[in-house]
Amino acid sequence: MKLTLFLLLFSFAMNALGQNVSLSGKITDERNNPLPGVTVRLSPSMLATQSDASGYFTFPHVPAGHYSLTFSYTGYRQQVVPVHLVGGGTEVNINLYPAPQELGEVVVAGDRTEFRKREESMNVEVVNEVYIRRNLGGSLMKSLERQPGIKTIGIGSGQSKPLIRGLGFNRVVVVENGVKHEGQQWGVDHGLEIDQFAASQVELIKGAASFVYGSDAIAGAIDIKPHPVPPKHTLGGAVDIIGKTNNNLYGTSLNLYGRKERWFFDSRVTRLDYADYRVPTSRVYVYDYAVDLKDNRLRNTAGHETNLHLSTGVVEEKYRSVFYLSNTYSKSGFFANAHGLEPRRVNTEEQDASHRDILMPYQKVNHFKLINRSSFSLPGHEVEAELGYQKNFRQEFSPYVNHGYMPPLYPTRMRTPQTLEREFEKQVYSLNIKDNMAWGRHTLAAGVNTEYQDNSIGGWSFLVPAFRQFSAGAFLYDKFTLNEHWLLHGALRYDYGKIKITKYTDWFNSDVQTQEGTVSQALVRADSLQRQFQSFIWSAGFNYNREKLQLKANLGKSFRMPIAKELAANGVNYHYFSYEKGDPGLSPEQSYQLDVSVTWTQPKWSVQLSSFYNYFPNYIYLNPTSRHDYYYGAGNQVFQYAQSSVMRYGAEFEAKYRFLKHWSTEFLAEYLYSEQLSGEKKGYTLPFSPPPTAIINISYEPQFSRGPKNTYFSLDYRLTGSQYRIVPPEKKTPASQVLNFSAGTTLRVSRQELSISVQAQNLLNTRYLNHTSFYRLIELPEAGRNIILSLKVPFTLLRHD
Amino acid sequence: MKKIIISMLATTLFLLSSCQGDEEEVLDTEYPVIDTSFAGAFPVQCSTVKRGETFTFRVRLRDNLRLGSLSVDIHHNFDHHTHSTEVTECAMEPVKAPVKPFLLIKDFPIPEGQREYEGNYQIQIPADVDPGDYHFLIRLTDQEGWQTLKGLSIKVQ
Repeated sequence: MKLTLFLLLFSFAMNALGQNVSLSGKITDERNNPLPGVTVRLSPSMLATQSDASGYFTFPHVPAGHYSLTFSYTGYRQQVVPVHLVGGGTEVNINLYPAPQELGEVVVAGDRTEFRKREESMNVEVVNEVYIRRNLGGSLMKSLERQPGIKTIGIGSGQSKPLIRGLGFNRVVVVENGVKHEGQQWGVDHGLEIDQFAASQVELIKGAASFVYGSDAIAGAIDIKPHPVPPKHTLGGAVDIIGKTNNNLYGTSLNLYGRKERWFFDSRVTRLDYADYRVPTSRVYVYDYAVDLKDNRLRNTAGHETNLHLSTGVVEEKYRSVFYLSNTYSKSGFFANAHGLEPRRVNTEEQDASHRDILMPYQKVNHFKLINRSSFSLPGHEVEAELGYQKNFRQEFSPYVNHGYMPPLYPTRMRTPQTLEREFEKQVYSLNIKDNMAWGRHTLAAGVNTEYQDNSIGGWSFLVPAFRQFSAGAFLYDKFTLNEHWLLHGALRYDYGKIKITKYTDWFNSDVQTQEGTVSQALVRADSLQRQFQSFIWSAGFNYNREKLQLKANLGKSFRMPIAKELAANGVNYHYFSYEKGDPGLSPEQSYQLDVSVTWTQPKWSVQLSSFYNYFPNYIYLNPTSRHDYYYGAGNQVFQYAQSSVMRYGAEFEAKYRFLKHWSTEFLAEYLYSEQLSGEKKGYTLPFSPPPTAIINISYEPQFSRGPKNTYFSLDYRLTGSQYRIVPPEKKTPASQVLNFSAGTTLRVSRQELSISVQAQNLLNTRYLNHTSFYRLIELPEAGRNIILSLKVPFTLLRHD
Repeated sequence: MKKIIISMLATTLFLLSSCQGDEEEVLDTEYPVIDTSFAGAFPVQCSTVKRGETFTFRVRLRDNLRLGSLSVDIHHNFDHHTHSTEVTECAMEPVKAPVKPFLLIKDFPIPEGQREYEGNYQIQIPADVDPGDYHFLIRLTDQEGWQTLKGLSIKVQ
């Protein structure tokens, strides 16, 4: 059956051959000198090429029809030319003109966004570094949170993980430089080890994206693209300086890049240092225990972060190979008066001595990454390969506390340091190969993704066992250009996965009730276990593009392999008073999703409505039961992994209107509904369901004939609805309203350019709770007013004209 | 074409509205209640219990629908590591190292299907355990899995 489908798809591709014409041309600069290396994109279709040393480009076999050609080149203004191909050969010659921006400030995302949106049947948004700087939050995910449908689960001011339409953890894939980012996605208090200053462009895919990104991309994917390769014969860089008033953050990011003819390098060093963050209250309550805060600061939420990046490689006309090397390191404290849900007594004198120090409990996370990304062009083929190695190392430090049956005094025989509560080490090897083929009116992509993971654990507490995991997937994707308005998409994917869990036995004895009475014994927390999974998924969609109208729909099946924690967890999370019990028999989670999106664009206004309906026959859910366990659970509440069917639907709406030349307004809204249709929590929602939100924006963007450029003033009024649909152990969160202001401009001082942006987050210092914050359960309010100042100074050391 | 768009929009609106109507079945979103404020409740915040003796743990448990299970954990707090969940602070003894601290992790049965229940449970403290500051942690669930915690500071004399 599967084979027949593949064959059908292929024969479909073969039949469409014929009626082909060639399209070629020459690209020159403003002085009519040939411009090599210009990216030429033909749309609709995924065809792209680069101009050769003499500025020539060719698309040899293009079916007749209406197209548009997009020419992009770093430092030059992008141009779009409509072409109508009838028969024989067509020639398009063009001059490109330098962009008004300086090097290092090149932004072509606007047009690329348009291109991606028109050619992708899934819901996709593209944001660039300018957007990130304008909305700079404590982490990359926080900076993206303004996008409808994107939320975060945060802890403290520097860590957060993405939620796409209410799903997060292992249901969202993050890709950096073509390789899936693998950290400790499953954990609640882990952030995402990504340097937001190093992100040049981020693609947000909302929808069933497993057929491209494999297991876990059930809710979607966040694809972080590297910076574009610098132009030839340049040497330059940029200095970013940032400061925040709320948590007294100061930071800098230095970038240096250069390129000769073929070789280039791009490097970056980022350092951020922040103090305890402030909330608009001087007293918080952990249960009924009143915690007085000194200077409104949440004790011990300070941290720092150091990130290093180096990419280098060769770029040629038909071949490119780039190495990306990076290391991100962070150390951050957790609120001292509560560890998880557990109220803690603190030595306030020691804790309040400095608001910059990091005392226990705290975490250290290091993520090392080495990726090679290579691609080469053959006639009709564009082959891409990524080879990656990652090592994620996380440690959580906390004073030893003998919870449950742990010995009252930490034994001296233990090799694990007394303060090391948890340690996770993950090593990941990835290999992806993909071939993009142009075949008449078909654009085919075929590829394989493989990944091997080796996970080990340490520390005196136990949450998840060590495990090894292998996964491999093969996919075939076809984009068929029916005519200038219609694009059809179809994809098939097969995945195989294998997980091997290592046995874990407690290092201490527990009192266990048996038939012979109470016995003291070391408990086996996880038995060795091996499971294999297979999955066959598909996706189909279309784009219908008119000048003003864009209509798209996609129906797809996605999947997710159960993770080690879901299969084999059998430990007590004492900070949450929960005994989490895995189920070794879980099946791969499956999801069916329909996405429909309509966009209407007029010169002065545009509206977009994206809606989805999603059904899971076997969603894996951690169910809090009414039982307490006295064997493995040391008297804690049993949280049992189970599968239930789940239905979700929702929509995002965006409207923009430019009512005066320099004034515009924007309305962004999102709504989400989730319901468990079976199982013990039938009728309940899923945890972390974001409440409906809306943002009303007004922007003023004056233009001056000389002097400052890219000037903007923008005010966001964010309305968040209440969330009363909750599931144990959540709490109802009331509605809130927050004002955010931002402004910025680019100045030229003598010959030096300078970009300044200012933000005032939570302008009115409103006290509110965030339903998806990790600290919500202990009623900690969100950060108070935060003024963020950031400065970017690009510089050019060498530029060859 | 317009028909397609209109039907798409209509479908979307239908999807958005369809499940709203019949969704109003009442789900339990209430936490159970551990009441130690009535006269005769024991222990309460800062209570003292004696070694070698048995005391009666008296507590009132309530839920809007059905109570689940009750679990008690008595553990030492000689290092002052944790805090009670209560408003009142108790006078603490100086920090000390445990030698033979008392530990009790035990379930106390609640009859099935109750909305209210007053528990009277006997707890015996051995004579040879360390005296000092202890925590008396009460965990109560209801049938739906909502759990309420109450952490009391007590002294063992």
